[in-house]
Amino acid sequence: MEGLYQEVLAITLRTLWISSTATILAISWSIPLSLILTSFKNKISIFIQDFFNALISLPTVVLGLALYLTLSKSGPLGFLGLLYTPLAISIGQSILITPILVSMITSGFQKLRDEVWETAITLGASEFQASIALLREGTLLLIRAILAGFNRALGELGVALIVGGNIKGFTRVLTTTIALELTKGNFELAIYLGLILLTLSTTITIAIRSLGIRGAYR
Amino acid sequence: MSSIALMIIAFAAVLLVALLSLAFMFFTSEKQVVLRVSTTTSLYATGLLDRLAEEFSKEHPNIVVQFIAVGSGEALRKAELGDVDLVLVHAPSLEREYLEKGVIYGGRIFAYNYFVIVGPKSDPANIAKLDPVEAMKKIYEAGEKGYAKFVSRGDNSGTHIRELMLWRKAGLNPKGKPWYIEIGSDMSQTLMVANEHSAYTLSDIGTYLKFSSRLTELKVLVNKGDILVNIYSAYLVRKSRNEKFAKMFINFIVSNKGQEIISSYGKEEFGRPLFYPAKSANVEELKQMWNELARG
Repeated sequence: MEGLYQEVLAITLRTLWISSTATILAISWSIPLSLILTSFKNKISIFIQDFFNALISLPTVVLGLALYLTLSKSGPLGFLGLLYTPLAISIGQSILITPILVSMITSGFQKLRDEVWETAITLGASEFQASIALLREGTLLLIRAILAGFNRALGELGVALIVGGNIKGFTRVLTTTIALELTKGNFELAIYLGLILLTLSTTITIAIRSLGIRGAYR
Repeated sequence: MSSIALMIIAFAAVLLVALLSLAFMFFTSEKQVVLRVSTTTSLYATGLLDRLAEEFSKEHPNIVVQFIAVGSGEALRKAELGDVDLVLVHAPSLEREYLEKGVIYGGRIFAYNYFVIVGPKSDPANIAKLDPVEAMKKIYEAGEKGYAKFVSRGDNSGTHIRELMLWRKAGLNPKGKPWYIEIGSDMSQTLMVANEHSAYTLSDIGTYLKFSSRLTELKVLVNKGDILVNIYSAYLVRKSRNEKFAKMFINFIVSNKGQEIISSYGKEEFGRPLFYPAKSANVEELKQMWNELARG
């Protein structure tokens, strides 16, 4: 029982670590991209935005398979030796949540632009200064988008299973453990793990909601 | 100003994570050899492999054995792509295909057990104690008359391939029949579905025993016949760069110690072992059976 408790704890921490890494990676390119999309107001930027909107519902197994074929020893990036490592899961999840981040941040920024950007420009600020003002005003919005992305990364199964391989003590995360324990017939353990996952994601969702409400009354 | 600071911190964090991960990978590849083994789910889910790896690591602390549990078909495909160093599978006809392609080599039989045909306790097709091929014929007849169903794995796994072989030997093709349910899932799911539908299915004995307490509607009806022998083999992978260590692991599981672990595994929990070590049988005889099965 002691060993089981430690293993569940290790799996939970590993899940949080892998998904956090994924979120940080995704943020690093989503924010600049959103800023660029917000700065332009033409057909191309609208098309790109629609493209990302469509990608929000990308099935995780499709992404997992594409990534598997890319990272496989016989694939174009096989030489990196990333397949079946935690980093491979993080990369996959970061790609998975990028559309969510870009969509949420861009649409939020666009709303802010009409209030903040125009005002700042009218008051004589440079475009760079106006960008900074946007970022400051959009902090709440960013936190909300980041939590939503993190939540999606936490609960996905396809990518973690296909490019992670569900290796014990290495790439085994909450969702893949649940799938495995089901196969083993340990329904009770699967339910406990499901409850942990549910608690984590519910907490995050409530956090998003409360931030949303605070944001609305600002 | 604080926003810029935030951005710098975020950027630094990304860099730190990337560096840490690289350092971690470098560190592990320096100190330890990682041996990747693709294996069938039925073997992994019993917990036997983790037990074997644990003992192996005691003797070779510098080798980390990592298992990737998939169907036999996928396990061999991963070997072809060069993503694993070793495969543990139970699908002789598929194994032969990949042996001929030169993907795998150096095969050793390390364990065996039996497939069983399970079905509803009332046994509407009357197959109890029949010869396996005869039993399949009876199930087909009963299915056509509408009082029996059959659940198939449908996933190119070792068990699925054996089931197809049984149909072929019976000279029948149930594909597309309304009573023939292909579910494309692992063994445990298949058994659960068979239980829900009061249907027949082919299962490996290990998975059936693990689940038997939940399978209230089912019982073992056919368990005799050479065609039901389930042979587990280990193979080296041509594309692997860890050949030396892969060989060490195979040698371990066929050694006296490895075979001892296999023969005692599951006795406590189920009152009988889940697998028989290859040593307990006449290895030549097993090889002959393997050849027979590989021909399909």
